Amino acid sequence: MASDLLSIGASGARAARGALEVTANNIANASSDGYVRRSIRIEEVSGGSIAGRGGDVSVSGSRIAQVRRNADAFRQAELRRTNADLQRANVELSGLQNIEAAVEQSGVFDSIVEFEAALQQLAGDPTDSARRAAVLGQAETLASKFNITASSLASAGEGLRFDAAADVENLNTYGAELSRVNLRLARAGAGSNDQAALLDQRDSLLERMSAFANVNTSFAPDGTVSVSLGASPGTAFVSGGTASTLTSATAVDGTLSFAIDGAPFNPGSGSLTGASLALSDLAAIGTRLDGIANSIATAINAAQANGVALDGTAGQPIFAGTTASTLSVAMAGGAGLATAPAGSPAGSRDQQNLAEMRQALTSANPAEGLNSILFDVSSKVAGRTVTQSALETIASSARIALEEQSGVDLDNEAANLIRYQQAFQASGKAMQVASDIFDTLLGIGR
Amino acid sequence: MISLSTGAFYERSATQIGSLRSRAESLQKQIGTGERLERSSDDPVAAARLRMLDREERITAVDTRNSDQAENNMRFTDEALGQIATMVSRARELALNAANATTSDDQRVLIATELDGLRESLLGLANGRNASGHSLFGGQAVGNAYDVDPVTGAATYAGTATLDRVEIGEGQTIQPGMTGQEVFAFTDAGGAPTDLFAQLASLSTALRAGGAGAADAARDALTTLDTGFDKVTTAQTVLGSRMAWLEIMSERRVDNVERITEERSVMGGADPAVTMTRLQEMMTVLEASQASFVRLANLNLFSMLR
Repeated sequence: MASDLLSIGASGARAARGALEVTANNIANASSDGYVRRSIRIEEVSGGSIAGRGGDVSVSGSRIAQVRRNADAFRQAELRRTNADLQRANVELSGLQNIEAAVEQSGVFDSIVEFEAALQQLAGDPTDSARRAAVLGQAETLASKFNITASSLASAGEGLRFDAAADVENLNTYGAELSRVNLRLARAGAGSNDQAALLDQRDSLLERMSAFANVNTSFAPDGTVSVSLGASPGTAFVSGGTASTLTSATAVDGTLSFAIDGAPFNPGSGSLTGASLALSDLAAIGTRLDGIANSIATAINAAQANGVALDGTAGQPIFAGTTASTLSVAMAGGAGLATAPAGSPAGSRDQQNLAEMRQALTSANPAEGLNSILFDVSSKVAGRTVTQSALETIASSARIALEEQSGVDLDNEAANLIRYQQAFQASGKAMQVASDIFDTLLGIGR
Repeated sequence: MISLSTGAFYERSATQIGSLRSRAESLQKQIGTGERLERSSDDPVAAARLRMLDREERITAVDTRNSDQAENNMRFTDEALGQIATMVSRARELALNAANATTSDDQRVLIATELDGLRESLLGLANGRNASGHSLFGGQAVGNAYDVDPVTGAATYAGTATLDRVEIGEGQTIQPGMTGQEVFAFTDAGGAPTDLFAQLASLSTALRAGGAGAADAARDALTTLDTGFDKVTTAQTVLGSRMAWLEIMSERRVDNVERITEERSVMGGADPAVTMTRLQEMMTVLEASQASFVRLANLNLFSMLR
C-alpha cells in the first residue's frame, strides 16, 4: 500500500491530541501528592512496504509509543531513606521533649529545694509549731510533685505507645495495599497509562511506609516490588501479592518490641525506632526518678527513727512509698518531726537529730540528682534538636530534588500546550491538503 | 532534563518562610519574657546552673530569716543586759552605802530590803523570754533559766550550759544570745563558784543581821559586785561583737543575692538591645522573602497566554 496522506495527517492529529491530553493531565495534577510528571514518546509508524520494493516511498504517520513516567529510582530511594531518618528523629525528639516537660514543669526540683529550706528554717527554732507545719507541708508538696512527675512521664509513654500502635496498624494496611498494587501491576501493560498510575501508587505507598521503618526494596522488571523492613537486608514484609503482619509488644518497663509474622525484628529507622528509643529513655529516667524519691524517703525516715518527736515518743516515718508514683506523707502533724535525739524529754529544744536529718538529706543530695536528670534530658533534647534540624534539611532537599526531577513545571507545560496545539493544527492542515488533492483529482474528469 | 518544578518552588518557599517566622517568634518570646531560655534544652548547661542559683537564692532567703530571728533575740538579750548592768551598779551603790561606818543598822535593813527588790527584778530579767517565747538566758532550756526555791528563795540555774548555734549562711554559725552562766555566774574571792543572786541574798542576810559584821560583809560585797559587774559588761561586749558579725554577714548575703541575680541575668537573660536588633534583622529578611515569593509566584507563563 502506498502512503495515504489523509491517514498520515489523522495519525499526527491523534498523536498531538494525546500529547495535549497528557499535558492537560500534568497541569491538573501539578499539586497532586505522589504524582510523577508524564511525558509521551511519539514514534514514527514505518513499514507497509511491499516485499522487493523497498525503495518505494512508504510513510505511515506517527503514533504514541509510550506514556513515560519521569521517575528517578535513585532519588525516590534517597527520599525514603532520609524520610525514615527524619521521622525517627521527629518522634524521638518529641518524646524527649515530653519527658523534659514532665520533669521540668512539674516543679519537682523546686519542691526539693523548698523542703530543704523548710528543714533549715526549722533549725532556727525546732519547737516552733508553725515551722514544723511548714516542713510537713513542704513534704506533702514534695510527694505530690513526685507523683505528678511520675504520672506525666507515664502519660508521655502512653502517648508514644499509642502512636506506635497506630503506626504499626498503618504499616500493615500499606503492606496489604502494596501487595494488591503488585498483583495489578503484574497484569498491566508496559508503557500504558494504567501502569503509570499504578506505579505512582506503588511509589507513594513505599514513601508512606518509609515514615515508619527502614524500607528495603527490590523491583522486578514488570514494576512489582518486594519490600523488607529493618536494617539491610531486613525482614521480608511484602513479596508479590502477599503481605506479612507486623505486631508490637510492650515490656513491663514500657519499652516496645516488634515482630513480623512472629519473628522479632528491629525497624532500623522511622517513627517506630524513634518511639522505642524515646521509650527506653523514658524508662531510664523513670528509674532514676524513683531512685531519688526513694533516697529522700529512706534518708528522712531513717533519721526520724533515731530521734524523738515533740511529745518525747520515738520518731515515726514521715514518708511512705519507695517510688516516685507511690511517695506519700504518712505523718499527720508537724509535732511528729523528730528534731531531738533519742532519750530527750518532751518539748526538748535539742536539735541534734534535726541536724543529722539535714546531714542525711545533704548526703543523699536529691536536688543535685534531679538537676543532673534535668541536665541529661535537656542536653539530649538539645543534641537531638540539632540532629533533627540537620535531618530535616537533608530530607527536604531530597524531596525538592525529587520534585524538581519528577514534579510538574507549569511553565514547561504551558510551552508544551502551545507546541502540541500547533502540531495538531499542522496535522489538520495536512489532512486539508489531502482533501484538496483528492478534490483536484476528482475534478480532472469534468 | 532537570526542570524547576512548580511543586518544588512552593515547597522550598514554604520551608524558608516558615523557618524565618519561627525564628522571629522565638525572638519575640525572648523579648516578651526577658528570658533567653524557654526550656532547659535551649541551653542545658546554663539551665542547670540557673537551677542551682535558684536553689542558692532560696536557701539564702531562709538564712536571712534565721539570721533576722537571731538578731532579734540578741537585741532582747542586749536590752536585758543593759538593765542588768544598771541594777548591778545600783546594788554596788547600796553596798557602798551599807559599808559606811556611819550607816545605822536600821538603815542597813532598809538597804537590805531594796537589795531584795533588786535581786527579785534581776531574777525576773534572767527568766525573761524572747520573741519566740523561749528563755532568754536559759540556753536550750524548755522552761525558766533559774528555778527559785519556794522556801529558801535560792535560785539555781536550770538551763543548759550552751546555746545551740544558728546558721547564718556561707557555712557560718552564730550563738544567738548568752546563757545565764555566762552572765551571772563567777567565782568569789576564795575561788568558789557562785552567782549574783547568791551573793545578793547573802549580803541582804548579813545586813539584816546588823552589827559590825554587816559593814564588813558590805565591804566584801563591793569586790564581789565588781566581779559580777565585770562579768555582765563582758557579756555585753561579746554580744555586741556578735551583733556586728551578724550585720557583716547580712551585708554579705545581700551582696550574694546581687551576685546571684547578676549571674542569672548573664546566664539566662535576653539582652534587649541585641534581641531587638536580631528581631528587626529577621523581620527585614522575612518581609523581603515574602515580597519576593509573591513576585516569583506571579511569574507564570499562563498569564502570558492570551
